[in-house]
Amino acid sequence: MRNRVRELRHQRGLSQAALGTALGVSRQTVNSIETGRYLPSLPLALEIARHFELIVEEIFDVDE
Amino acid sequence: MSTNDTARRSVQQWAVPGFAVAIGIAYLVAGIVGDETTFGVFGLVLMVSIAIGVLLVRRHSETVQGMLDRRDERIVQIDVKATAFAGSVVIMAILIAFVVEIARGHDGAPYAALGALAGVAYLVGVVWHRLRG
Repeated sequence: MRNRVRELRHQRGLSQAALGTALGVSRQTVNSIETGRYLPSLPLALEIARHFELIVEEIFDVDE
Repeated sequence: MSTNDTARRSVQQWAVPGFAVAIGIAYLVAGIVGDETTFGVFGLVLMVSIAIGVLLVRRHSETVQGMLDRRDERIVQIDVKATAFAGSVVIMAILIAFVVEIARGHDGAPYAALGALAGVAYLVGVVWHRLRG
């Protein structure tokens, strides 16, 4: 599963800690999501999408 | 986050330290009742120290903080997996001890009962979570 969380976070000039605070998770969890080591739950994926004002499919994509 | 969530997490922050202190008090009471006061006092001091240590470390560790407030889903998953791993290790130790006791010609107590308890608890867990979701 690929995702654009790091790219979107950089575009908005956010640190991992700041994004984590906004999402209600730790900086470590943001890092794990960005590196693909952790796949967020559907509620958290929706929260991430809502935060970036996008839809989930624009952020998360299944590896072909 | 709702006010209820904030209040619930505030209570959860104290669950682990509170449990540690409660166990320490149980050690103290058991020690006094069993005429092992030194053991009881040492147990209480140890468990209170653990509770204080957890509260101090949480300021510097996102993982400990997450395990206390149960807010971060990834850390909650880590906690669940670690608990399952610890449970598996204990069950394996119980089974090995049971077999060793049987091989020594004993009746397997108390490991047979502990193993049975683990099996029943597992089945109850499966049924409970099956019914819930």
